[in-house]
Amino acid sequence: MYGGDEVSAIVIDLGSHTCKAGYAGEDAPKAVFPSVVGSMDQIGAVDDLKSEKDSDSISEPRNDGRQTESDKEKSRRKLYVGSQALGYRRDYMEVVSPIKDGIVVDWDIVDNIWDHAFRERLLIDPKEHPMLLAEPSSNSAQQRERTAEIMFEKYKVPALFLAKNAVLTSFASGRATSLVVDSGGGSTTVAAVHDGYVLQKAVATSPVGGEFLTECMMKCLENRGIVLRPRYSFKKKEGRPGEFQTVELDFPNTTESYKLYSQRVIASDIKECVCRVPDTPYDESSYANIPMTPYELPDGQTIEIGADRFKIPDILFNPSIVQTIPGMERFAEYAPSIRGLPQMVFESINKCDVDIRRELFSSILLAGGTASMQQLKERLEKDLIEVAPQAARVKVLASGNATERRFSVWIGGSILASLGSFQQMWFSKMEYEEHGVSYVQRKCP
Amino acid sequence: MEAVVVDAGSKLLKAGFAIPDQDPALILPTKMKRVPEDGDMVDSTMFEEANIDPVTRGFIRDWEAMEDLLHHVLYAGLGWEEGNEGQILFTEPLCTPKALREQLVQLMFENFNVSGFYASEQAVLSLYAVGRISGCTVDIGHGKIDIAPVLEGAVQHIASKRFEIGGIDLTKLLAQELHKSNPLVKIDISEVEKLKEQYAICAEDSVAYEEAQKSSQAERHTLPDGQVITIQRERSLIGEALFRPSILGLEEYGVVEQMVCSISTVSSENHRQLLENIVLCGGTASMTGFEERFQREAVLCSSSIRPCLVKPPEYMPENLSRNSAWMGGAILAKVVFPQNQHITKGEYDETGPAIVHRKCF
Repeated sequence: MYGGDEVSAIVIDLGSHTCKAGYAGEDAPKAVFPSVVGSMDQIGAVDDLKSEKDSDSISEPRNDGRQTESDKEKSRRKLYVGSQALGYRRDYMEVVSPIKDGIVVDWDIVDNIWDHAFRERLLIDPKEHPMLLAEPSSNSAQQRERTAEIMFEKYKVPALFLAKNAVLTSFASGRATSLVVDSGGGSTTVAAVHDGYVLQKAVATSPVGGEFLTECMMKCLENRGIVLRPRYSFKKKEGRPGEFQTVELDFPNTTESYKLYSQRVIASDIKECVCRVPDTPYDESSYANIPMTPYELPDGQTIEIGADRFKIPDILFNPSIVQTIPGMERFAEYAPSIRGLPQMVFESINKCDVDIRRELFSSILLAGGTASMQQLKERLEKDLIEVAPQAARVKVLASGNATERRFSVWIGGSILASLGSFQQMWFSKMEYEEHGVSYVQRKCP
Repeated sequence: MEAVVVDAGSKLLKAGFAIPDQDPALILPTKMKRVPEDGDMVDSTMFEEANIDPVTRGFIRDWEAMEDLLHHVLYAGLGWEEGNEGQILFTEPLCTPKALREQLVQLMFENFNVSGFYASEQAVLSLYAVGRISGCTVDIGHGKIDIAPVLEGAVQHIASKRFEIGGIDLTKLLAQELHKSNPLVKIDISEVEKLKEQYAICAEDSVAYEEAQKSSQAERHTLPDGQVITIQRERSLIGEALFRPSILGLEEYGVVEQMVCSISTVSSENHRQLLENIVLCGGTASMTGFEERFQREAVLCSSSIRPCLVKPPEYMPENLSRNSAWMGGAILAKVVFPQNQHITKGEYDETGPAIVHRKCF
């Protein structure tokens, strides 16, 4: 049993797109950075090694010692974590994501991400703070045990708790029973929470998430002949006072993955600024003549976005639209099996017991970055009212503040970890040493 | 009695009573020397005048030394009397760990017995000093650079950045370069510091920098101990280092790009407000030619909105950019203490150090 005291817990939510970390009790995470990392193979780039050796920079994680002792089979590579380190273009640096389809495949990278969050962003010593980690609603036992192992063995945290994303979102809105629609970067998950527990049989996931929409946006722009120039690839020169010309810089050794990543960042920003969910299902003819919205790219070019503004968000509701975007054909094969958001919600509720369905219909929560798209709440409500049984009262709730929606899982964790009644539920180091890592299944339901 | 405002930087500690529109009464270097006690055995071979820096990279690391320093500043320097201590306002850098804040509060209430305490972030204070509540602060100090977009008095923590480079790294670079060009001369690091302040210059733009590197006037400078050194291209090298960190051996973008990146992370409706109210402060930002160069580079980086540096109001003293955090603190102290928004001794006794997180933000 871990006592608590006044020591603040740390809440970490490692999502597929961004990692959020901060102190419990606060209303927003202090450290928000991408969960992809830059990886440079040290064997392949010997010249770069020499120039990096004498630098004293904070952007390079001190992971050399760990690399040699942990996995000798893996080629030695240097990892660059965090938006500052990742934002700097380096030759031969690849962009790698540790999470595929919601499952962690590369624990080394996850380890480095946590280390970056503790030591470089929050500036704390993990030994002194209990950790609350958010995990996907359908996480496998093996993943949880591995997480617990790394936390206790490597970081020597005094106490740990693994909470499911859906439960935390529920707490953030003050409800113990709700249906959580978490639309994040990598995927969209619909999960039913009843009295603080996720009903596993009612969890539905779909690969359509923020990154998928960004991919579509990029293809749409490509089809219109617009070139997204990442920040590193151009420089502005002042010709005559007041006149600027853009000079293209060529870096031949930049990897394809880095270039794509930088372009995605820009496309993602366009998507966030300009896209709106249409009030009715999208169809080409009705949106052919709407006024275009201008957007300024980093290199000064102004582009106009018209019908795509409404087409792309509609993919969430009607995934088969993807097939009409040239370039996205590879998704055509499994597009029919992906259901839209209203169908997923309806299916999920129907898998639950009849008694709670009414309550679930009237408390549908929206969470995640993609859920902060404009008009999503209204459209979802409208679509659900059509599919739902007459007697049910459908209500979709979402906090008005876009930041709160993006971080609702983290905020829920912050609330949970600072509750007095939670302090006895921590999985403490002593219990870990006594019962072993599999005890985590019992302690963190 | 007026409240005392203390701004403990990595190089200089600014302290004084909170009288706005005036410079801080006391500006001391935050450097101390450990002198052996009389009773100790002084072995001449082991005797070293250890230089202690209680504040490194913006954070207080050596608490005992800090206590001694503050004791000197408050009682000897500002004239506090034991038993009749007043209220104190501290400034702190971005990303201060919670534990550090609690330790500071504890130190002030338990060792110094102050009657009231408040802490605030330097970024917000620098904005108050120039009369704004929203804008982007770029604080280039001795030990760190803080870039913080502030909206309506609230620092956007998610978008703000902190770098552990500052004046001290420039000094080290200058020492290295001078050693290369004047190999026979031995220069003490504090001398290099003075040389940097005297001679460092920022080129107008990258083209002018390239030319300056190729051909610039050699200056001869006589050191206090009589040795003569020549300073030539090192002058503009130091000035360029913040715009091109590869000179310092770091893999980072220059300070201007980092600021533009930071602002673009904030939601777009606020970009205009942030870009048009950029405040440059900190000792290193007062390098000759720095502001003009910064303005130029900023205009190149951003396209539709033209970035503007804020001009300090006329009623503020000359050296505002060096002391802006202190000045802002003086302004804030006039608001916070009379309205009882600070932490009082009674509240501290009741709740303990954790109260700082609730009352000061």
